[in-house]
Parts: sequence; C-alpha cells; structure tokens
Amino acid sequence: MRRHVEGRNWSKVVAFIAVGAIIVASCGSSKKSATTAAPTGTGSQSTTAPSGTTAPSGTTAPAGTNAPSGGAHELVIDRDMDINSLDISASYCDTCQIFNTAVYETLITVDPADPNKLLPRLATSWQANTDNTVFTFKLDPAAKFADGSQVEAKDVKFSWQRLGNLKGSASYLMAGMKSIDDSDPTTVVITFDAPNSAFLPIVAASYLGIINSDVATAQGATDAADAATADKAGDWFLAHSAGSGPYQLESYTQGDKLVLTRNDKYWGAKKPAFPRVTIAEVKDSSSQLQQLQSGDADISMQISVDAVGQLQGNADVTTKIVDSYNYVYIALSPGAAGGEKLQDVTVRKAIKEAIDYDGAIQALVAGKGKKQASPIPNGFIGSAGLPLPEYNLDDAKKLLSAAGLADGFELDATYPDANVYGVDFNLMMQKIQQDLAKVKINLKLTPIQFTDWITRINAKGIPVTAVYFAPDHTDTSQYIQYFGLIPNSFWAGSAGGGAAGKPMDNPKESDLLKQALGSSGDAKAKAYTDAGQQMIDDEIIIPIVNTQLVLASRTNITGMHYSACCNLDLGLLGLAG
Amino acid sequence: MSLLSTAPRLLVDVAPRSTWKSPWKRVTVIAGMTVTSFWLVVLITLSWWAPYKPLDAVGGRLQAPSWHHLFGTDALSRDVFTRTLYGARQTLPVSVGVIVCAVTIGTVLGSLAGFFGGWIESVVMRLVDVTLAFPPIFLAMAVAAALGPGLQNAFFAMVIVWWPIYARLIRGQVQAVKHRDHIQAAVSIGATRWRILRKHVLPLSFTPALINATLDLGQVVILTATLSFLGLGAKPPSPEWGAMITDGAQFFYQWWVAVAPGIAILTVAMSFNFLGDGLRDALDVRAKR
Repeated sequence: MRRHVEGRNWSKVVAFIAVGAIIVASCGSSKKSATTAAPTGTGSQSTTAPSGTTAPSGTTAPAGTNAPSGGAHELVIDRDMDINSLDISASYCDTCQIFNTAVYETLITVDPADPNKLLPRLATSWQANTDNTVFTFKLDPAAKFADGSQVEAKDVKFSWQRLGNLKGSASYLMAGMKSIDDSDPTTVVITFDAPNSAFLPIVAASYLGIINSDVATAQGATDAADAATADKAGDWFLAHSAGSGPYQLESYTQGDKLVLTRNDKYWGAKKPAFPRVTIAEVKDSSSQLQQLQSGDADISMQISVDAVGQLQGNADVTTKIVDSYNYVYIALSPGAAGGEKLQDVTVRKAIKEAIDYDGAIQALVAGKGKKQASPIPNGFIGSAGLPLPEYNLDDAKKLLSAAGLADGFELDATYPDANVYGVDFNLMMQKIQQDLAKVKINLKLTPIQFTDWITRINAKGIPVTAVYFAPDHTDTSQYIQYFGLIPNSFWAGSAGGGAAGKPMDNPKESDLLKQALGSSGDAKAKAYTDAGQQMIDDEIIIPIVNTQLVLASRTNITGMHYSACCNLDLGLLGLAG
Repeated sequence: MSLLSTAPRLLVDVAPRSTWKSPWKRVTVIAGMTVTSFWLVVLITLSWWAPYKPLDAVGGRLQAPSWHHLFGTDALSRDVFTRTLYGARQTLPVSVGVIVCAVTIGTVLGSLAGFFGGWIESVVMRLVDVTLAFPPIFLAMAVAAALGPGLQNAFFAMVIVWWPIYARLIRGQVQAVKHRDHIQAAVSIGATRWRILRKHVLPLSFTPALINATLDLGQVVILTATLSFLGLGAKPPSPEWGAMITDGAQFFYQWWVAVAPGIAILTVAMSFNFLGDGLRDALDVRAKR
C-alpha cells in the first residue's frame, strides 16, 4: 500500500553517511598555491594586424611537429560546455570557439604566443587598402575540405555572407560588409561601407571559419539576405560538419559529450595528432580534477584556482595559471522594469563604489585575478591608463544620500546559474549582495537557467545581472560594439529594457568607434581609450574580475595553450613520446 | 490436589512471556527524541545565542574549523556553524509544513474516496495513480522547475508529490473501517454519513497516517535539501542546508563547507526516522502482543 517503506529511509541515510565519509576521507591539505607566470611586457604593433593586445602571461607557443604524435591515443577533455549551436554561423559560445577552430578553418589565425601576430591559415597572404575599406586575401591552392574538394573564394563568400545574414549573436562581426568578390577562385576581395581597421583580427575569429558551400547548400543552408528564416541546415549541423579543419564532427549529445574524429585528408602541415577527441560534459571543478588525476581525462579546462594546489607534486599532471582576457561583470539596466532608481547615474556610481573588488577577487578566485577598469579587458588596446574601480563605502553613501536614497531600496538581481572562468555566479552575487547591504541596497537574488536568462534579458532587461565575456577576436572594437551605448549594441538594448524598452544611447561612443576603425597606431589607441572612459562613465557595465586561466593537462599532452581568438586550438595539441 | 489448584500454575507455564518492550525506552528512539529536541530548541532560541549572523563575513576566507569557527568559514568568510544552525529555520518549518499539508489534503480526499466510493473515488484515485506513476524526486524537480526556483515553490512541489501517498493510505483504512459493526450500528440509528465519517471512521483510520507522517519527515528534509542543492529550492544567500552543500561542493578540499550542513541533514533525517519507528511500535497493537 505504501509507496515507500522504511528501508528506503535507511538507504538514503546510508548514502549520506557514505558521501560524508568519502568527502572526509579524500580531504587533504587545504593549502592553496599555484604558480603564476610573470606578466609579459607591452604588446607590439604589427603592420599586418592592427590590433594590439598584450600577450597573456604564461602562454607559450605550442611546439610544432608535422607528424601525428598521438598514435592511437584518444584525447579526452573535460569541460562544462555552453554550446548553443554547432552550425558555425549560428554558434556563439566559448566551447563553440574550440569546436569551430578544430573543424573549420579561418583565412588567418592568431599566434597563441603573440595575439598581435596574425598567421596564415587558408590564406597565404592578405592586404588592405589605405583606408581599410577593401581587403584582399589569396587562398592557399592546397587547401582542401574534408571531402577532398578545394577551398575556393565562393566558399568564403558563402560562409561570411551567411554569418551576416543569419543574424545570430556573431553576425555583428560582419557589420558594414558591402560586397564580396569571388570571381577568381583563389582570391577573395571584401569591401566595407566604411573603414574597418579591425577586420583582419576579425577574420581570425573562429566564427568566420569557412564552410564547404556545396555540401551545406545541399542540406538547406543559404547565404541569402533572408537566411535568418530561409536557412534549414541548423539540425544537419548538429550531426555533421563541412569544414577543412584537422577534425570532423562525429557526434554530439547535449549534456553528455562532443566527439570529433581525425580528418584523415587534412591538408595542413601539422597533421591532427589524435584519432578521436572527446569533449566530455563535466560540470564541476572537483570532478574535473579527479578525472585528470586518475587519467580518465587528458585535459580539464575548468579547474578552479582553489583546487590547483592539490595537483602540485603530481608528476603526471601539468598545471599552469595564465592571464586571460576573460572577465565576469555585473550590468545595471536602468530601462528594465524595477530598475527605475538606476536611471540616476549617481546611483549607478554609488553601486560601483560600494563593491569591494579586492575582497571579491579574493573570495571568488582566491586572489588569482585582476581588477579591470572598463569593458575593455586588461591587455587590449584602450585598456591602459583607465582608472581601476575602487571600493569607497563613504563616497557611495554620500552619492546615495545626494540621490535621496540614503534609506536604501531593493533591486531585482536575476542572473544565470553558472560557473564561468572559475567564478561561481551564486557566490559572486552573494558577495555583491553583502557589499551593497552596507549601503542599504537590498539585492534580491534569483539564479535561473542560462536559456531563461537570455529570453528574459532580451525581452525586458534585468535591473542587476551577472554575465561573462571572452573575446571573439583580438581587436578592441568588439567591446564597444557589444557593451557601448551605440546602435545595435547588445547592452545598449538590454540596459534600455530589452525589446520592451528603448535602447540607451551615447553618441560619443559611436563617433569614437568610427574614429578608431578609420585610424591606426596611437590615434586608434586613443580613440579606444576614450571610448573605454565613456563606457566607465556610463556606469552600466561593472567588471568584477579579469580572471586567470588554469591550464591543466596530463604531462604527456603537448601544445597546451590559451588562444585569444579561439580558446584552445585542438590542432596544436599532441602527445609526447 | 484438585484441578482448581493446579490450573493457575499450568496457565503460568503455558502462556508465552510477553517480549514487548516500550519503544520509548529504546536507545535509538531516545537518541531520535534527543536530537529532534536539540534542533527544536535551536529553531526557537537561536536568535538569542547564535555566535554570528548567518550572512555576515566574520573571518578569513575558507578557514578550517577552529574554536572561533567550529565548522570553519566559507568562501564569503561566513561562519559555517552559524549558517548550519540557521539552516534549521529554513528546512524544518518547510518539512513540517509539507507533511501537514500533504496529510491534510490526502486525508480529506482519501477519506472521501474511501467512504463514498463511486465517481469521487474514481477521480481521486486516478489522480493519485497518475501522480504516483512518476518517481517523487523527478516529479518534484519538474514541478519546482516549472514554478521557478524558490523555497515557496519547492514547498508546493513537495506537497504535490506527497499528498497522494496519504490519500491512498487513508482510503484503504476508511474502506476497512466503514464495514465494521459499530459503524453499521451508527447507520442503523440514523447518524448522518458526514457524522459517521468524522466521528467514527476517521479517528480509527488516522493512526497509520500519523506514523507515516513522522517517518516521511526525514524524507521531506532530504527532498527539500535536494531541491535546493539542484538550485530549485532556497535562493542564495539563504543558509538552507542543500544550498550550502551546493556552495561547498566546489570547494572539495575545504570539506567543512559541505560536510557541516550534510551532518545537519543526516542528524535530522535519522532522528525523525527513529522517532517514526518508535511511534509506529507504540501505536501498533500487534507489536505489543
């Protein structure tokens, strides 16, 4: 009659005892230490790459070998995946960068050891006209897709036009594109409406990888202006790929694993080292750590800095903490329902000054992170010289008092329930809540699923939320295009209340972006710096921590690196011995 | 010697000696009562003697257990001992509330179904069958996810999962009781059906539900913590035990952050189970033979 009997009570109790025993038994030293490589110097300007980012410290160039070095070893990577699509033109996520780079190839790529240096990939050479409106790329005649067909200009045109017309999150990368000339199969000429000095770094973004247009078109893909509604290839791309990269998609099971197989016909000089690469969905740092220690995983991508100390002394595992361009931030949206009190910029400034940044960095990443001045991350052009945020409780109270809010108020803080770059958003928002409570601002925390968060922020905005950002390419323009209060910027819309509101606007930022894209050298750097200052003054985006990255792998894995454009290029990995 | 003089002796020799021992003297039941009393005292008096406030940063980050912080501190420098004690204020009222609501709803619907039969029974029992067709944890997760995260929604989800158990139990008891002679006697003297149900049937049917309720309390405590652990229950920074374990899970080597609330769940669940066992034995007349 009863659905549950007393024995089941006991089974749960015993299970709890067992879990407790395992935790206690496995606890070791709580010592937290890690090696942090010293920061490198200022990045140099490249004539071919008008970007100018400082190389993340500790990143080393992967050893180049031409022969496959993996033998029969299958590579297993643990990662908390955030895949939104495996269609390169519709994808937009950190894991997508890894997948896109492994399966598709861009015309040029970024040297992992020096983000300012662009390297040839599908293109052998490239050049821009004097005002950066026309770019010409010569394709490598040896470049072949996985089906053996040649990579031609028509494929480039198809891929880039489709990226722009699908109107996905990464479509902004093709903004301003006027035309693409593919009359010569080995030459691509792309023309822009206005100067776009950021385009060469943009070409290295993983989303601009080249699709085999014949294969994709046969599956319903289109690059037409109405591609956003007419393209029917999204489902096909979940099980197939059509690229020229060192690996091909074998299978993908959401929430389980992404499996790639070697492209045996890979045309490039460095042959793929592993017959199969499995990216396994392993969400938490502890599980990733254990799998790496036991050898079940070759690479664990999201081990927290708190856990790195546990790997020290383990000769089978190599760990390194490197600087990255990734960061987490909170965003204030005056246009969102419930965010009316944020319409006064002094209130937003008070919130910014009420946050204890050093304490947050200590609490969230054990001090292994940096403060960041503006949405432009440390190391990118325009970041140098901007004032870092400072914790000033007294000033925050004065500002709130001046705004007539000395008695405090309540704000809705809905955010994605995520753990990104080693930062647990629940923890981060609790820390912010702790800090803001000191100025009598009561944050009402509500963690929700990422997909729900996207829906909500697009629809009506959220007064206070937490988000993360990793660069799509190595030019600063992306930060103004995404965070600036300019037309079509994501945060101009969301801060204004999403689809239900009116986008916020700061015309100075539009002008500064235009200036930067039409200039180079110091003039460009100054325009970006000024835009950074404008974004600081907007008080919409408040960076909390520029995180460092733990590179953790089995010692026999070679070529571990962090790439500014592509996260991790699987084609550069190998097996020692 | 007459038969009369030997009879009592024979009776003494032949009759089996009763092995029944009061459950309230059992070690497990005494332990259950002690621990439950401890948590009840904590629940009521905590505000007066708690060492710290549950949301305040009071020490260094992730400090190991010490005399100043018996269960150490968490990543936001909050005292884990204090938060664990305050967790009782989240979990225990919710758990008791869930059981009270589930028993109430289950008793009302189950007794109506069992006593009146017909279409009422068909509707109620099909509803019960449908609900019980799903594993309780998955159903609770689905309902909580649909309603949105929050302890209040988790409460509703758990009530939805739990009431059918009592409805089925009570219905069976009512069906067994309603044909007894004294009920027929009440019918024959003209008592109304409502009066018979309230005064004669329900009091005789309710004891098993009471025993079940005590035994289920431990399970509800675990389910509440589970939902919070999965992000479907209490919202941060609430010191709810399941949510605290979630926070601690990422600090595997700072074991105290997760173990302290784990111990709290363990003690509460076990003590309710021990109490339930004792209550069952005390009220079950067959166990006394």
